[in-house]
Parts: sequence; structure tokens; C-alpha cells
Amino acid sequence: MKKEESVKLISAEGFEFVIDKKAAMVSQTIRNMLTSPGSFAETQHREVTFPEISTTILEKVCQYFYWSLQFASGKETEFHIEPELTLELMMAANYLHT
Amino acid sequence: MGGICSRKRGQEVNEEGVRRGITRKYSKSGSSKWLGASFGRPVEPETRKNGVPSLLELCIYKISQDVDRYKSFSLLPRDLSQQIFDELVYTERLNYENMQAFRDCALQDLCLGEYPEVDDKWMDVISSQGSSLLSVDLSGSNVTNIGVGLLKDCSNLQALAFNFCDLISDDGLRHISGLSNLTTLSFKRNNKIKGEGMRAFSNLVNLVKLDMERCSEIQGGLVHLKGLKKLESLNLRCCKCITDSDMVSLAGLSNLKELQIASSAVTDAGISYLKDLRKLVLLNLEGCRVTAICLGTISALVALLYLNLSRCCITDVGSEKFRGVKSLKVLNLGFNNITDACLLHLRGLTNLESLNLDSCGIGDEGMAHLSGLSKLRNLELSDTEVGSSGLRHITGLTTLESINLSFTLVSDGGLKKLSKLASLRSLNVDSRHISDAGLSNLTGLTGLTSLDLFGARITDYGTNFLSHFKNLQSLEICGGALTDAGVQNFKGLSSMTLLNISQNSALTDKTLEIISGLTQLASLNVSNSRITDGGLKHLKSLKNLRTLTLESCRVTAAEIRKLQSTDLPNLVSFRPE
Repeated sequence: MKKEESVKLISAEGFEFVIDKKAAMVSQTIRNMLTSPGSFAETQHREVTFPEISTTILEKVCQYFYWSLQFASGKETEFHIEPELTLELMMAANYLHT
Repeated sequence: MGGICSRKRGQEVNEEGVRRGITRKYSKSGSSKWLGASFGRPVEPETRKNGVPSLLELCIYKISQDVDRYKSFSLLPRDLSQQIFDELVYTERLNYENMQAFRDCALQDLCLGEYPEVDDKWMDVISSQGSSLLSVDLSGSNVTNIGVGLLKDCSNLQALAFNFCDLISDDGLRHISGLSNLTTLSFKRNNKIKGEGMRAFSNLVNLVKLDMERCSEIQGGLVHLKGLKKLESLNLRCCKCITDSDMVSLAGLSNLKELQIASSAVTDAGISYLKDLRKLVLLNLEGCRVTAICLGTISALVALLYLNLSRCCITDVGSEKFRGVKSLKVLNLGFNNITDACLLHLRGLTNLESLNLDSCGIGDEGMAHLSGLSKLRNLELSDTEVGSSGLRHITGLTTLESINLSFTLVSDGGLKKLSKLASLRSLNVDSRHISDAGLSNLTGLTGLTSLDLFGARITDYGTNFLSHFKNLQSLEICGGALTDAGVQNFKGLSSMTLLNISQNSALTDKTLEIISGLTQLASLNVSNSRITDGGLKHLKSLKNLRTLTLESCRVTAAEIRKLQSTDLPNLVSFRPE
């Protein structure tokens, strides 16, 4: 993955997820951060820290990003969500506008 | 579900036969839309990109599927718990037990209208939303006065609906008398509420909309509305107990925009008290024993746009007073004993967009008086003496979009006079006087989306002309002369959603085979034909089919049901059943 095509998402515990920018842009919130003109630190460094989102949840969110891209391209599989994650995941999805 | 639970503002004129208001669920937080949202729930495309379910939607769906796992949602932000709640209501998974998880969730909207098994037990959790609660719809529930009492402390409530709640009486109303933030209140069809009980409304000074339709014992109660100066909409339809003396109390409600007193006991004398309602936009007097005398008062209502006088006692006598109601856009005079002499006085109502003269004693001469109504879009002439020569007077009304000429004297030749009406979308010529020749005179009306030839004598030959109506969505030909050969000509009508070709007893299974290509069909009726169980297989491609009627055919309910389960998931109603 070329550096300019990837972004780094950092969880509350400091765990780093490097994913395609295209995938991250599924989130309206991240899209705004990465594309808004001006001097958002995120735009410069291509990394976003989420102090409120745990590693487990952020991992699931990243899985969703890729699942969403696949779904949009016609591969309509089911997205599995572990029941114990739903509430936290829902809050993250809400925050990420996803 | 009840649309009353809406806090959406805006002028909604809502009177059947005039303009049907759109009742639609609306919550501040927006309800979640799950995959393939089916009928009944409006799809809000802004929540979805490229048809991909959002992660939020997936979570809501997952939670609602195993909702019994969750003890409480009170730690969620309220807009999220609201979306879960709405999803559970929509999918009918909510019950008394899992409802407990919503205690103290600060929910704003509880739209439980027509929801099964709701009773006083539920009120505890409902009232725990406290001051967050803005709208509650418990229509059709078994909630009693005690349950209503639990809402006392939900002081920010703006909208409340208890339609069809026949366990609620005056004692229940007293409990809500302190909810002074209420703007919308609805108690349709209640026989226990008395006029005296409406005293509880006198404190609701912010009330904008009150609906007491079909409340049979509220005589004398309107006096308690006198101080509600913000009231804009009052529905008292089918309150037979409401009389002229009740109208006195409405005289000062100067902000009133909509008043519905259809099928009440109000007469001309009662109407005279309404003369100062200068903001009134809609007045529905259908079925009241009022005469043309009331038009004197109505002329003073300068803002009036919608007037329904259907099934009243209007005659030609005094009908010159119609000249005064110049502002009207919609006028319904159906089923009155009026003649052409009355139509003379409608000449000047040039703002009219819709005129209903159903079953009035009018004929060709009267049509001349309509020729100047240049904004007319809908004209209803069903069951009148209007014939072909009368139509000549409306040939210049090029804004007409809909005409009903069923059971008139109009003949095949007369239909030629409609040929210039290029805006026409809907035409009803259900009449035995009409045959193939009449249809041939309509071929210039290529914009038609709806064509009703129900009783017309249309044969296979006539169906050749249908190819001119490429936009047709609705077609009825039930004159009896159609055979499979004629149905062949339906093939190009690919926009068709409603097709009624019942009563054509020669139609066979071949017909179903031919129309199997009309995949937009939502409603199909081929009753009284020779269709058999063997023909049903041709319907498999009609995935949008919702209603199927094959009465008096050689078709069994069991075979239709089989087809429904394997191929027609949207079929909700069928006959035989």
C-alpha cells in the first residue's frame, strides 16, 4: 500500500490500524477530517486518533469499511456482529457517521 | 400506525375528497430504515449510500433481533435508544417485557398507535421518560384513566393521541389538564367523554390541533375551547351531538384555519356564528343540513380555499350567493339537488381548481357556465345529465388533469371534444354509451395514466387503440366482450400497475400468460373468467403484485397461497381466500 493511499486509525489504547484511505472514507466523519481544507492535523499526517473507541470496536469498524466497499460493488454478504459488541459499536457508528 | 404522533409542523390540510394529508411518522431522531424497507415505512434515502446498510443500521437491526438480551438502554444517547425503540415497534418485536429496557431512556417519541396489547402496565416505562417525552400515540390501546394519569408529570408533552381508547372518560381528561405545552391532541371515537369533561382542555392554551371526531357525547363542551386562541384545526366530524348552539363557542377562535363539522347537526343558523373566522382555509360541512343560506356567512370567510358541501341541502334557491365565495380553489357540491341554474353562479369562481358535481341535476346547458374556469384541474360529473354537447363548453379548459364522466349521457362522438385536453391524466368514461369508437376518439390523449372503461362496450378491436397510451398505469375494461386476442394489445403497456379486466367471461389462462410481462402490476382482477389453477404459474414474474382477485374462476385459494409462498412475496390480499 502506498503511503498516500493509506491512513492510520488509532484506538483509545493506542493500537494502530493502517487501512486504505478509500475504506476509511466510508465514514462521513473521517472523510470530513481528511478532506476538509485548512490545517487539520489529520489532513497533514493521515492519522486519526479516537480516544473514545476501544481497539476491539475500532477493528470491527475497519472490517465494516471493507465489507461496505464489497457490498457496494455487488458482493452482498452478511456482516456479522457479535452481540456483546452491539451497543458500543452502535455508539462508534453514530460518532463516525457510518 | 397513527400519524398523529407527529410533531412535524406545517399546514396540513387533511380532508378526504379534498386533499389527503400525508400522515407520516416523524421523529426528531429519525427512525431507522432497515434493508428493503417494505410498504408502510417511508424510505429516507439520505441515510443510505449506494444501497449499502450503514453500520448504525446493522447494529440497530442486530439489537432488535435479540432484544431480550438487553437489560437497559439507558446508557445509550437518547437518539440511539429512540432508533432501537422505533425499529422494535416497526417490526412488532416490542412487548411489555423488553419494553422495560427503555426505562429512563429520555425518549422523545413513543408512537404506539394501534400497537397490540398496550395497556396501563406499559405506562410506567412510558412516563419514566419524564420531561424528555414530547409525543405519545396510544391510539387503539386499552389504557384507562389511571394510565393517562401517569403522564401528568411529563410536562413537556406536545402531542398526545388516544384515538379509539374507549376506556378513557372525563376523569382521564382531568389528568392532562396541566400539560400546557400540548399543541396536538386527539381523542377520536370516544363515547365516554362528555361536554363537561372538555373543561380540562381550557388550560391547554398552546393547543393548535384538536381532533374529537366521532365523539358522541360532547355537546356543550366546545364552550371550554373559547380561550384557546392558538387553535388552528378542529375536527368534529361525525359528532352528531354538535348543534348550532355549540358553534357560538367557536365564534372567537380567530386563528382557526380548518374546521370539520361534517355529519353534525349544525344548520345555517350555526354557520352564521362563524363569520369572523377570517383565517379559515378549510370548511367541511358534508352531510350537514345546511342550505344556500349559509353561503351568506361563508362569503365573508376571505381566506377560504376548500369548501365541502357534499350531501347537504343546497338547491338553486339562493344559489346566487355562490358569487361571493371567490377565493375557493376546491368546491364539492356532489349529491345536492342543484341544476344548471346554480352553475350560472359559479361562473365567476375563476380560482377553482377542483369542482365536484357528482349526482347533481345538471346538464349540457350548465356546462356553458364552467367554460371560463381556466384553472380547473379536476372535474367530477359522474351521474349527471351531461351529454356530448355539454362537453363542447369545456374543450378550452386545457389545465384539466382529471375528468369523471361515468354514468353520464356522453356518447362515442362526444369524446372527440376531449382531444385537445393535453394535460389530461385521468379519465373515467365508465358508461354503456361508450364503445370502441369512443376509445378511438381519445387516442390523442397520450399523457393518460388512468383510464376507466369499466362498463364501456370495448371489444378486442378497441384494444388496438390502447397502444397510444404508453403511460397508462391504471386500466379498467369490464364490459364483457374482451377475449384473449384483445389482451394481446396490452403487451406494450409496461407502466401498468392496476389492471381490472373482470367480467370478461371469455378470458382464459392465455390472458395470464400475455400479461406476465407487465411486471409493474400491483393489482390484478380477472374475476368471472375461465382462468384455472393451471394458469396461475404465469403470474410468477409479477413480483410487485399485492392484490389478486380471481373470484368466480376455476381457481382455488390453496393454489394462490402456494404461489404466494413461492413466488409472490408482496401479495397481501387475494380472492378467493
